[in-house]
Amino acid sequence: MIIKSTYNELLKIAYKPRSYIGIAGIMIIIAIILFAMKVDGSFYISLITGQFEQSLLFEGTILNGNLIAYIIIQMLIIHVPLLIAFVTGDLISGESAMGTIRLLLTKPVSRSTILLSKFFASCIYTFIVILCLAFMSFVLGKLFFGVGDLIVLKSDGLIVFQENDVSWRFFYGFAIAFLSLVTVATLALTLSCFSENSIGPIVTTMGIILLFTIIGSMDLPVFDTIRPFLFTTHMAAWRFFFDDPLNMTHILYSIAILVAYISVLLSISFYKFNKKYILS
Amino acid sequence: MLNLKQLLFLKLFILYSITILAQSPRTLLNQVQVKLNKATNYSADINIIVDLPYITLMPINSKLYYKQKDKFKIDTKSIAILPKQGFLQLNMLVNDTVNYTAIFQSKEIINKIKTSLVNLIPNNDTSDVVLAKLWVDQINQVIIKSQVTTKSSGTIKTEYIYGSQVFYGLPDDIKFTVDIKKFKIPKALSADINTSKTTKVEKKFGEINIKLKNYQINKGIADSVFDKTN
Repeated sequence: MIIKSTYNELLKIAYKPRSYIGIAGIMIIIAIILFAMKVDGSFYISLITGQFEQSLLFEGTILNGNLIAYIIIQMLIIHVPLLIAFVTGDLISGESAMGTIRLLLTKPVSRSTILLSKFFASCIYTFIVILCLAFMSFVLGKLFFGVGDLIVLKSDGLIVFQENDVSWRFFYGFAIAFLSLVTVATLALTLSCFSENSIGPIVTTMGIILLFTIIGSMDLPVFDTIRPFLFTTHMAAWRFFFDDPLNMTHILYSIAILVAYISVLLSISFYKFNKKYILS
Repeated sequence: MLNLKQLLFLKLFILYSITILAQSPRTLLNQVQVKLNKATNYSADINIIVDLPYITLMPINSKLYYKQKDKFKIDTKSIAILPKQGFLQLNMLVNDTVNYTAIFQSKEIINKIKTSLVNLIPNNDTSDVVLAKLWVDQINQVIIKSQVTTKSSGTIKTEYIYGSQVFYGLPDDIKFTVDIKKFKIPKALSADINTSKTTKVEKKFGEINIKLKNYQINKGIADSVFDKTN
């Protein structure tokens, strides 16, 4: 029953034009980045190596597909949550606004199953977006710029990863990015349970992400205690896989925080959706 | 009490010694130059180990090509980091008898090897090199240590260990010690998480160790090898 219900929800997502905004947006942005890096990539390289070039010489192909993929993910991972919220913030509130929620809830399926199927559908949609991001950045990056070692700029220096040591880092990086995007999708879905129109949950999700990001990026001691508990702090956790050595404590902590957010938000949405009054 | 003859002899001896010392550094460098010029071209397998502050890089294996006078290439698909004034500068300094004056400073023993410390001072102030100190092994006529201070790259210290190819003056092991200026990068550019402030670290030193083996000397290397597009 849950599979059939999830399939139905996926069909609903597929038939909505807004579902393609995110994917189209990613494709356009990545195409622009690929073009810009092809034309003016050396400028970006000078940002990375410039501080060392007074005394050191860098040999080898620095501007390659791996670096392009890394740059793209770094740039897009901040914006993709907003594109995810466009779709997942509408899953319940959209049906409430159109009145189809009443029809949906007359089916011989429990409300929890319906909500769970919407959650799974939003996870699958998020997975497709991540897959699209991975393909465009990783595959097209390598196609246009070739392969090579990955040079990563950290706040305390440079790390050069050998080519054969990169793919698994991207794989796990995308996996944890998926988890962080599912957190956003769950937030939008939860807010969607409280609203009768689509705009509210989408704008509120964006507002929360914006607020948390601002708090997280402000270097004020007053926020030091709450910063580790903001999910936006852990949306960049994919970067932990580009540390050497890997800091498993940080990775597991980020995963725990994101899973905790998903669990709490899902519990709230279950409670709210099961109590939702649909007769008015 | 010294008599007139003894005084005259002493004066002549001092004059002779000064003349010998004034001539010997250039002579010594000429001997080094002759030795280095025996290898008109060579290639070697190299292993580069980088130990620099702010940079994490695994050791890489690569191939080095050199052809007189100034053709040099490291053939690598990996990212390699080398000192900016590395391989060619010393050859250039030793070969340049016009723009640099060689002055003998002292005799030193380094790793049980008797060396002459020769200073190279530029003859004009437009030179990038401010001062080059070369420790020359008098017996094998090779440079075993150098310290080159340039306006653009700071000071680079280099130590050479010779083995099978000492006849050509080619080392088996080179250790560069380079200045690394303070590294400062905005948080926004690095996009790190869990770091709250911009990192500022004071100037430090780093080492780049290059091991060379499987030399192929004077076997001929095509100019196309040094083409940047290859």
